[in-house]
Amino acid sequence: MEKDMKLDKKNELKEKLAHYLFLFNATVAIISVAAIAFFVFYRGLQPFIPGNAEGNYNLIDFLSGLEWRPSLGKFGILYMIVGSLLATFGAIILGVPVGILTAIFIAELAPKWAKKIIKPAVEMLAGIPSVLYGLFGLGVIVPWIMQISPQAQGQSLLAVIIVLMIMILPTVITITESAINSVPDAYREGSFGLGATKLYTIFKVVLPAAKSGILAGVVLGIGRAIGETMAVMLVAGNLIAGLPKSIFSPIRPLTTNIAMEMSYAFGLHQEMLFATGVVLFVFIILINLILSRITRGSVLK
Amino acid sequence: MKKKINIKESFIYGLIGIATLFTIGILVFILGFIFSKGLPHVDLYFLTSQFDSTSAYVDVKLSEGSQNPLGLILEETTIKEKGSKEKKVIVIKEIEDTSLVEDAINNKGQSLPLGEKDIINRVNGVNVEGKSVEDVNQILNNLSTDTVTMRITKPGGGIFPMIMTTLMMIGLSLLFSVPIGVFAAIYLVEYAKPGKFVNLVRFATESLAGIPSIIYGLFGMILFVMTLNLGYSLLAGALTLSIILLPVIIRQTEESLKAVPDSYREASFGLGANKIYTITRVVLPTAVPGIVVAIILSIGRIIGESAALLLTAGTAAKIPGSLLESGSTLTVKAYTVAKEEANIELASAIGSVIIIIIIILNALSKFISKKFSKI
Repeated sequence: MEKDMKLDKKNELKEKLAHYLFLFNATVAIISVAAIAFFVFYRGLQPFIPGNAEGNYNLIDFLSGLEWRPSLGKFGILYMIVGSLLATFGAIILGVPVGILTAIFIAELAPKWAKKIIKPAVEMLAGIPSVLYGLFGLGVIVPWIMQISPQAQGQSLLAVIIVLMIMILPTVITITESAINSVPDAYREGSFGLGATKLYTIFKVVLPAAKSGILAGVVLGIGRAIGETMAVMLVAGNLIAGLPKSIFSPIRPLTTNIAMEMSYAFGLHQEMLFATGVVLFVFIILINLILSRITRGSVLK
Repeated sequence: MKKKINIKESFIYGLIGIATLFTIGILVFILGFIFSKGLPHVDLYFLTSQFDSTSAYVDVKLSEGSQNPLGLILEETTIKEKGSKEKKVIVIKEIEDTSLVEDAINNKGQSLPLGEKDIINRVNGVNVEGKSVEDVNQILNNLSTDTVTMRITKPGGGIFPMIMTTLMMIGLSLLFSVPIGVFAAIYLVEYAKPGKFVNLVRFATESLAGIPSIIYGLFGMILFVMTLNLGYSLLAGALTLSIILLPVIIRQTEESLKAVPDSYREASFGLGANKIYTITRVVLPTAVPGIVVAIILSIGRIIGESAALLLTAGTAAKIPGSLLESGSTLTVKAYTVAKEEANIELASAIGSVIIIIIIILNALSKFISKKFSKI
């Protein structure tokens, strides 16, 4: 009897320990997010706090500057913000229609054999590392743009837009497809019953019903485009100063600014790169907030 | 009126078709480009050789019973060195069975076997660059000693160090992230009641999934490389990667745990088993295929990762000798080769290897989830 009780106690302890072990591991994700936000903001905001050991920089000059010349102590990133936003905007304008139309084909029109080819192809597109997209851009798109461009080099806003447009396709396609698939068949049958054609049903019934899911796909695509680094770095041109004047102008997105110079930067220069990361992070947080608002909205429906 | 609608409809069908063809076409185009530029360079030598060329002095014993003094068949080729013009060199074309170059010893007394494609620079102090095969054979034939000292150059150009670094990076990151991810998923599915905490964890994993890898790189650099003073290293890279992997592992494991029918748990409890026994002996074994898929997806993610590793693991083209040494994975190397050397062929060759690995991983994960989805 006593022995049994001892065993029970031991088991109880074991259960409790296991419980806390699992609980602790579940908090790691939360701790990670908090740590990432803390460290990136903490280090990136140093240059704007008076009395910083590595020197100070004016926040307004940083956010409104059109020149990045570390050797002259000039750290302006407005032209990078503009470059990042234009590239993302262009990629979305071109990529979203292609993605949605492809998703419509997969979800509503494709015969089984075609699905068996297209779906793995989309998965493959999603699995190709971004460096290889950049390599493709450098080896194919840049030389192609060089032929039609009035500028001397093919690395340009247009090259970035094309590469990013391809890269967001899998995101937009997969999310849109699952949004379309989750529209109940009753909607389609109702529409057909009223004599509507297939296309009318897709565009006037199914797509509106899948709206919030598609929107989520678009926002995820924006996030992927604005955060993309390696592919963009190979095709952007990464100029030192100036707003892009046309789609043939080279640009320097925020992400590539960080990745290009981090390996040899030190002192204030390095901290200004961290600060660039903060600006990028703010954009990402905004995008995630919008995304969570959209997905929460769809749950309520 | 009816005809007008038909034209409009077929126009839209056309657009849908074009969009789909574009998606497929671009994939074929990208794969075609990388394979056509890269695959011709991929062979056993490429996969098993060092990246950087290395030179050394070696002592070799002459072989007996062969017409060629060292048991080597030599040939002339031209090589192009970085930043210099092409030059003629003597390389080893074939090694005969009787040759003793396998037992070659460098001037530190270490074994340094010669191999095919090695370049011979000097024989017993005589510079043989630019000489013909006959000249070199004549020098070798007229030796008075039974050992010869040669300066040789192993040409490099292979990706063996990057393959090893990639494997080490995979092993190390999974070591950190799989237990954390699986335990977290167990908590979420088996213990947690719906509420604030679960929502917070879910919010955190979603946020992690939405953070671009360059931000992970920044974070890893600030925390692991600088604050914890690990430097650009395998360990700093793997720690950063393991956070990147968390959302994938947690989500996949959660799905597979949820797919285990409640009747299994009830049966186990009914037989008097306690919770921890039920989880470790009943639920987890059933969920193993799902966890394996999570691991395969993670491997794919590690292989594809570059921006985060660039800022945490560095770009050294050698096998890291310890956890605190820098090393570049295949993908990081493909980037540096493309960006710094503008060598699209070599980058594509590395790219071909990466894509083949990813195709295999995709097929594997599909096979496993199909095979075990009947549970």
